[in-house]
Amino acid sequence: MKPAAFAYLAPRDLDEALDQLAEHGADARVLAGGQSLVRLMNARLASPAVVVDINRVPGLDSLAVTNGSGPATLRLGATVRQRTSELSPDVAAHAPLLVEAGAHVAHAPVRSRGTVVGSVAFADPSAELPTALLALDGRVVVRSRAGERTIEADDFFTGAFTNALDAGEMVVAIEVPGSPPGTGSAFVEVARRHGDLPVCGVAAVVTRSDDGRVSSARIALCGADERPVRARAAEDALTGSDGGADAVAEAAARAADGLSPRGDCHGSPDFRRHLARILTGRAVSTAVHRAAGEA
Amino acid sequence: MSTVEDRPTTDTTGSPRENGGRRWVGRSVLRKEDPKLLAGRAVYVGDVALPGMLHGAVLRSPHAHARIVSIDTSAAEAIPGVAAVLTGAQAAELVNPMPAFCAEPVPQTAIAIERVRYPGEAVAIVAATDRYVAEDACAAIKVEYEVLPAVVDPEAAMAPDATRIHETLDSNVAFHRTLDFGDVDADVARAHTVVRTRARWHRMGAQPMETAGAVASWNPFDQSMTVYSNSNFHNFLPWAFAGMLGVSTNRLRMIPCAVGGSFGSKHFITKVLAIAGALTKATGRPVQYLEDRVDNISANDNVGCDRIYDAELALTEDGEMISLTLRIIDDYGAYFQFAHGQHGNAMAQPTGPYRIGSLRYDVSCVLTNKVQQGFFRGAGADPGNFVLERLVDKASEELGIDRAEIRRRNFIAPEQFPFKTPPGNVYDSGDYAAVLDRALEIAGIDKWRAEQERLRAEGRYLGIGLATCQERTGYNASEWWFLYDNPPLPATSTPESVKLDVDAMGGVRVEIGCPLWGNSPETVVSQVVAEEFGIDPADVSVTYADSTTGAMSAGPGGSRLTIMLSGATRGASRTIRDKMIRIAAHAMEMDPDDVECVDGTFRAKGAPSTSMSMAEIGMRAHLFFHDTPEEESSGLVAVHTYDHPYSTPPSADRKDMGAFYPMVSHACHIPIVEVDPETGVVTLRAYYAVNDCGTLMNPTLVEGQIVGGIVQGIGAALMEEYRYGEDGSLDTPTFREYLMPSMHEVPEIVVEHLETPSPFTEYGVKGAGEGGRLVAPTAIASAVDDALKPLGVWVDELPMTPERVVGMVAGAREGRP
Repeated sequence: MKPAAFAYLAPRDLDEALDQLAEHGADARVLAGGQSLVRLMNARLASPAVVVDINRVPGLDSLAVTNGSGPATLRLGATVRQRTSELSPDVAAHAPLLVEAGAHVAHAPVRSRGTVVGSVAFADPSAELPTALLALDGRVVVRSRAGERTIEADDFFTGAFTNALDAGEMVVAIEVPGSPPGTGSAFVEVARRHGDLPVCGVAAVVTRSDDGRVSSARIALCGADERPVRARAAEDALTGSDGGADAVAEAAARAADGLSPRGDCHGSPDFRRHLARILTGRAVSTAVHRAAGEA
Repeated sequence: MSTVEDRPTTDTTGSPRENGGRRWVGRSVLRKEDPKLLAGRAVYVGDVALPGMLHGAVLRSPHAHARIVSIDTSAAEAIPGVAAVLTGAQAAELVNPMPAFCAEPVPQTAIAIERVRYPGEAVAIVAATDRYVAEDACAAIKVEYEVLPAVVDPEAAMAPDATRIHETLDSNVAFHRTLDFGDVDADVARAHTVVRTRARWHRMGAQPMETAGAVASWNPFDQSMTVYSNSNFHNFLPWAFAGMLGVSTNRLRMIPCAVGGSFGSKHFITKVLAIAGALTKATGRPVQYLEDRVDNISANDNVGCDRIYDAELALTEDGEMISLTLRIIDDYGAYFQFAHGQHGNAMAQPTGPYRIGSLRYDVSCVLTNKVQQGFFRGAGADPGNFVLERLVDKASEELGIDRAEIRRRNFIAPEQFPFKTPPGNVYDSGDYAAVLDRALEIAGIDKWRAEQERLRAEGRYLGIGLATCQERTGYNASEWWFLYDNPPLPATSTPESVKLDVDAMGGVRVEIGCPLWGNSPETVVSQVVAEEFGIDPADVSVTYADSTTGAMSAGPGGSRLTIMLSGATRGASRTIRDKMIRIAAHAMEMDPDDVECVDGTFRAKGAPSTSMSMAEIGMRAHLFFHDTPEEESSGLVAVHTYDHPYSTPPSADRKDMGAFYPMVSHACHIPIVEVDPETGVVTLRAYYAVNDCGTLMNPTLVEGQIVGGIVQGIGAALMEEYRYGEDGSLDTPTFREYLMPSMHEVPEIVVEHLETPSPFTEYGVKGAGEGGRLVAPTAIASAVDDALKPLGVWVDELPMTPERVVGMVAGAREGRP
């Protein structure tokens, strides 16, 4: 449980970090909170030749809601700690789902080191925060020496622990668009213990129009496939419905359509499909109620 | 500062009790071990640093079963800082095979030779300047394997044509025996009802916070070796270690280190000792080898029972339990180092607290491609309690007798002690109905039944568990081999010794043979000395003996240490106190019968102003021989060895296994759970336990043992399990997969004590080290059952993971048994 030898670099600004990533390419890994990478390195499941520690890079710790010409957008920089996000009134007001999902991540001491962006970049198919970002229709902002580009969350997660980053790129922030009025969200999960990665978790964001109909539903699942995934069939069942018990049940019944969960000692593929259905029902039901302004 | 809590002991225990006129025994004296542990100043194996010390690491097999075709260590040897790389064959030239308790020919070396038999078995070892370099070297070793079929399922392993784990055996069934006690067939024939269960208790592990480790230092000039370790047996079987290490017994010095938890897993730890021993012999330098977590989970003696039960309980119409049949298949893994010891252990209390007249015990110990079993808190009696209590609950259901009532009808009554059980073990004392009644009372059963009803109306499932179980304490190591017809060893009294001396200034020092294993030997010894001399426990100095002092100790294990240490310490104290009385009487020109020891002062009975202090007597005894009675020699030193207080050997025909575990504690646990049948999640809402371990030596320490054991029992009930894939790979190699409860999974635990003193021990103490874990798993199973009774669920497999609970609910719905 000791890591292989590696070079440790501590860039002082973003340009230096990007230069180092450009130089070392796929041999380099970015270190932010270290709550996943260091464990992998100790187990020699990851043996990067170079570790680029971005904790000293100024500006990456910014957390802000911007009201530009378009709708309000929440932007979380690459070194914003999960605990900071969780306690932020801006995040609570703008994207309560991030707070609700984030509270399930490990324990407060871990969250005080771990970063939101780090969890997204790590792309663990069981993790809560990537799933919440997916349900929130979020975006991932990446930089390299060649410039900046923005990737939709659904395109960012390409598989288990893999993402759409090219060599030399790093995630500098995530962005979460604002939600229209009449939107409610919920996150529910089954974990073996408090703070463990869930066996299965469901994030739901539901918007109801003035007539009470569901105008939009986004449902994302973790622990249910090779990557965080949207439950499109369940969303379709809900969209345009009255959001009542029958619609919720129909959405739940279709939540596992097309899923290919990976089984492990915490749950077989069949059990994960079962949980996807049960938890989708619960998450959607809560989100619908919250969308209607109920508790 | 006083070492004694100001509050009276009755507040500590929650129940009023007599203290028998004792002053220190029975009080919650603050734990003497705590300051150094809490300040990080206790010395563990990992803290030992010798000049020139190297660090070891182990390359382990990724395969469950394979032939080692070749090993190329050249690249590893070329890494700067690497001092030695040894294969199993090379290590075998330096150290001998590991000693084993089994009579069967199952040879085992610490590093595999030619063939690996479980995932994680050591294939090569390295010593290097630090652990990082040592692990680099492990990564550079090239091993070519020829993978063999893995034997994973213990029932399949029993087939005559199954792949053989050991060519030295005719079958993978290393041991099979059927033992009948009483007339089982006749009892079953006259039974009104026979309830049955096929129960599964999966393998779980002790998972101590500190792993097993050793620092070994070979001195080639005088052929001696010094070993620091966290083994428990340095003063029990030092000769066995010497034989393995290739050192003469009188040139091996084993020094105990503080131990960061064991729970039974660190008695022998021959693997780490052999690895460190081989590396120090190869390099001529001290070598530290401390397992990391992956080493410990995959390869140490961490694993407890792994059993399949076919069990039957025969009852009369009115619920009298008359006979018990247990057919057991136990998956021992790849080696048989501790033989069938966990079944010898289970023989202490298979019929529980009940007057069951006959017993059939049929056991098959099966070898598979998994790490071997070791010992783990409960040591074989844990699944026994699980199965017996499940059967009792089932009988309660089938006969329509309330589950508390059916237990009451069958409890051994207080006036029936000492009670001889069918296999021969004797129970010393108890009042089981009183424990049950008090548990029902403190749990507030009526309140919880009302809550259960209220929640069921909301579609929620609350369950109330109940279990009444034995905790056999004060073990006798004969159990490790006494199921054999021709045991490799005779019966042992498993002695414990202390050396007590009073110095010239009256200071009391006690040297004990056991290590600090995470329990409280210093506190217990100090309380006993304080009791006998009337001095403050804080004034007693306690030290730990290494293996060169002649101390005899089997150490903590089988819930024996407080029993044995209090016996040894009281014996030594009385020897010295009596000698001091004689010296004082001589000095005061009195008859010794007229002198008493009160509050650390030796004084004339009825004339307390005529007295001598301990220092005055101490100086006289050490230096002024001519002023002491002629028949006394100088000095105030006593070694007292306390042999097992009550054991009898098994009969030759094994119809009577003898009394070997006769100090029997008892407990009733009532857990309250809520179960979500859709997700399978079980949540503990509350937990109540009433325990009777005889005279409480120290209520706070006992409470710590019970609460800790209950937490491990929650793990056993809900999450802990070694799982293997079809190819034999270990699916639970780290704590991300092998789960234990955290504080979030543990409810408030309310503990109360009743005290039925043992007639066999000093002060009437019994053991309390395993009771929590011996009761909690089956109590929680009972609670889940109770919660899901409307759905027809019957729990017969632990742990109750979410997936298993959902499966049980679905099974009940489909009418599966």
